[in-house]
Amino acid sequence: MNIRRRSFLLGSTAVGALAMVRAARAQDTARLKVRFEHDIGNLDPGNRIGSVEDNIINACCQTLVRYEPGATDWTLDAAREIVQVSDTEFTFELNPGQMFSGGYGEMTAEDVKFTIDRFIHGDANGNPLAFADDLGAIESVEVTGPYSGRVRLRHPSPALWRVGLGDASGAILSKKAVEELGEAIGTTLVGSGRYELAEWRPNEGLTLVRREDFAGVNPGHYDEIAVRVIPEEQTAALAFMADETDFSPVTYEFRDRINAIPGAHVIDQDGTDYTWIGMNVEAGPLSDLRVRQAIRLGIDIDAILAGAYGGDAGRARSMLAPGILGYWEDAPSYGYDPVQARALLDEAGYASVDLTFTSLNDAQSLAVAQIAQATLAPAGVNLTLNALDPGAFWAMGANDASAVLELALVPYSSKTDPGFQTQWFLSGQVGLWNWQRWQSEEFDRLHAEGNSTMDNARREEIYIRMQQLLDESATCVWITHGRHHFACRDWLSPALLTNPQTWQFENFAPV
Amino acid sequence: MRAVLRFSGSRLISAAITLVGAMVALFLILRLVPGDVVSVMLGPRATPELRARLAAEMGLDRGTLEQLWIFLSRAAVGDFGTDVISRRPIFDIVTEVLPHTLALALAGMGTSLLAGIPLGVLAAWRPGGLLDRALGVLSVSLITTPALVVAILLLVVFSAHLRWLPVSGAGEPGDLLDQAAHLVLPTLAIALGWIGYIARLVRAALLEVMAEPHVRTLRAYGVSEARLVRHFALRPALVPVVAILGIGLGDMIGSAVFAELIFARPGLGRLMEAAIGNRNYPVLQASVVIVVVIYITANLLTDLLNAALDPRVARSLHESGP
Repeated sequence: MNIRRRSFLLGSTAVGALAMVRAARAQDTARLKVRFEHDIGNLDPGNRIGSVEDNIINACCQTLVRYEPGATDWTLDAAREIVQVSDTEFTFELNPGQMFSGGYGEMTAEDVKFTIDRFIHGDANGNPLAFADDLGAIESVEVTGPYSGRVRLRHPSPALWRVGLGDASGAILSKKAVEELGEAIGTTLVGSGRYELAEWRPNEGLTLVRREDFAGVNPGHYDEIAVRVIPEEQTAALAFMADETDFSPVTYEFRDRINAIPGAHVIDQDGTDYTWIGMNVEAGPLSDLRVRQAIRLGIDIDAILAGAYGGDAGRARSMLAPGILGYWEDAPSYGYDPVQARALLDEAGYASVDLTFTSLNDAQSLAVAQIAQATLAPAGVNLTLNALDPGAFWAMGANDASAVLELALVPYSSKTDPGFQTQWFLSGQVGLWNWQRWQSEEFDRLHAEGNSTMDNARREEIYIRMQQLLDESATCVWITHGRHHFACRDWLSPALLTNPQTWQFENFAPV
Repeated sequence: MRAVLRFSGSRLISAAITLVGAMVALFLILRLVPGDVVSVMLGPRATPELRARLAAEMGLDRGTLEQLWIFLSRAAVGDFGTDVISRRPIFDIVTEVLPHTLALALAGMGTSLLAGIPLGVLAAWRPGGLLDRALGVLSVSLITTPALVVAILLLVVFSAHLRWLPVSGAGEPGDLLDQAAHLVLPTLAIALGWIGYIARLVRAALLEVMAEPHVRTLRAYGVSEARLVRHFALRPALVPVVAILGIGLGDMIGSAVFAELIFARPGLGRLMEAAIGNRNYPVLQASVVIVVVIYITANLLTDLLNAALDPRVARSLHESGP
């Protein structure tokens, strides 16, 4: 083969040019590059999917109040003043001059009313929003002036501030924009926040640009935030190593490698989610409390944390994580005791018990299942593992499909209000998301009281008691609240809320 | 010309039958799989009311045959409905990522041909020689090395360590150089196996043609080996290569799934992978329809190209006429 000199030079030049393009991009410090694990699904705050949308909505929209990193109480955001008239009524006064992006004008009380009315009455077609429950305590909104209004509640609701008004569900939308864009609002977010969604490339990424006409106080240190969607963890770690991202969620397997990179480190933050092994109280031997207690003693949680979580995640002793109101500090920690477990089974009249253990089919869930299987065997509990893909697994939450479950490994995400967590264990959720099918009148009553009590001290008592009831039922073997890891440049100070999956881009700043 | 048109027409009819058959099979298989998109995407927030409303919107509350008829009749006019999650037309969702997959698949196929054919010719130059044996080892190695392993190795070496090429994405829109840079590693990952395969195929075909009587005669008349290969042997030797192009393109599109995941590129493969996991049937059905259409079209075109390359194939078209 005769490679000509001209062809060789042209080819070499092309490769060199490609490398120069990349080098130039890596030095851009007015532009922050972050990674998302998923693409956006729907940016309509009432129909959003999860934390990815939350982070975009939080950056592009304002809420009446907001929570700052590390704070337990809200601060004012779009509202200049909030006056709590009674437990079921408050008034608000907006800051004037808060402009929506896209030329949709100034925010007024009409926009606040329109936003909340969507949650109460549904969208333009009357369809209820997926997140309607977040503002479900609100009965009506009355506009009393261009920037002022009055909000009446059906009942007192402490959760309203945490998971509603101060969260992505409380993002104030432009009435004019929603009426004009219709369902396109899901991919064309119009807000009054520090950033606006300038570009979205489906399945690839999006770009937020800082708005110079923003009237609020949130700094927004970066001119541009470029989000790259990278689903694969290995690819995400390599992208960080290659300077394609500056801030990226990573899994614990990459922690050491990232920490070894000059100018980079890993931020570790305990999560507030909750993962547990649930037992169906209607499934044969599991109806006997002693059998459930035996299983609780026969599962080696420490081995699960070491084997499935790499020794990285802390142990959960109850439902609510530290930092969440109602955290039960004195919750018991059940050590691995197969001898006692066997004794309990004997007392219940079982020489051995055969059960099916259902879980998701990802590597971590499978590891948990296998360790549970191995550690329960000496106690006389024989598990058959049933790993399901997410579609089949989450389908258990409908049409009483969970009736066939016996043991199930369940991972739920959390909110900062405890009532959001406890709602899935109510009697009314049997056949839906209460896969333990455990029912307790006291638990249900306490949940209702907790949702309508404004006294934090009383709420704390309530939620601790609810967790005690769950503990006494022995229907849940708590595993972990999770631990999140973020690869981060040394020059960057990110802003993460109590739930580490919630970020505030406007507070990301250079160190 | 008439024979070609007749040939094309008959292939189009069989293609349409294939397409409908594939759509029906996919439709029925999906209905057997448990799960729904609302439960997967929203988890516990998926209330029975929301699930029922969206199921009705997707037509899942109707009978299976009715659903099938609605799907087929709408797909015939390119109407795949609206995605219940993003509220966007599914046709838009699929077609906006399609160019990325096509670019990757065509780049892969082109790279395979550009590298594989010369390697095959080199190997056939001195059959049994050192170069032939070395290229044989190389070809088989390329064929047998899992593409996933190749992809990760390429990323580690050329992106993470050497920083020569990017890790993820498809590049800045409008910046051809940047987009080309983002295409290099994914293309290599899906093309390497095919380079080896095409090299072996060309070698075998070329050796066969070079042993034919007319080539031996030309050699006896003093025609140089280089001229023999270039003008008399290579074209017939490429017929089997062209014959597998259609299959190759289909394989490339299939390989694009993992390439798009590993390299975080947008594309049909990633869209389908997500749709399967999320039980987003309408998006999955639309994607598969597009892939089947591409596959059928590619095979039709390769058949026509084959006829253009090989007079014997063209003659058979004439002889099959009235």
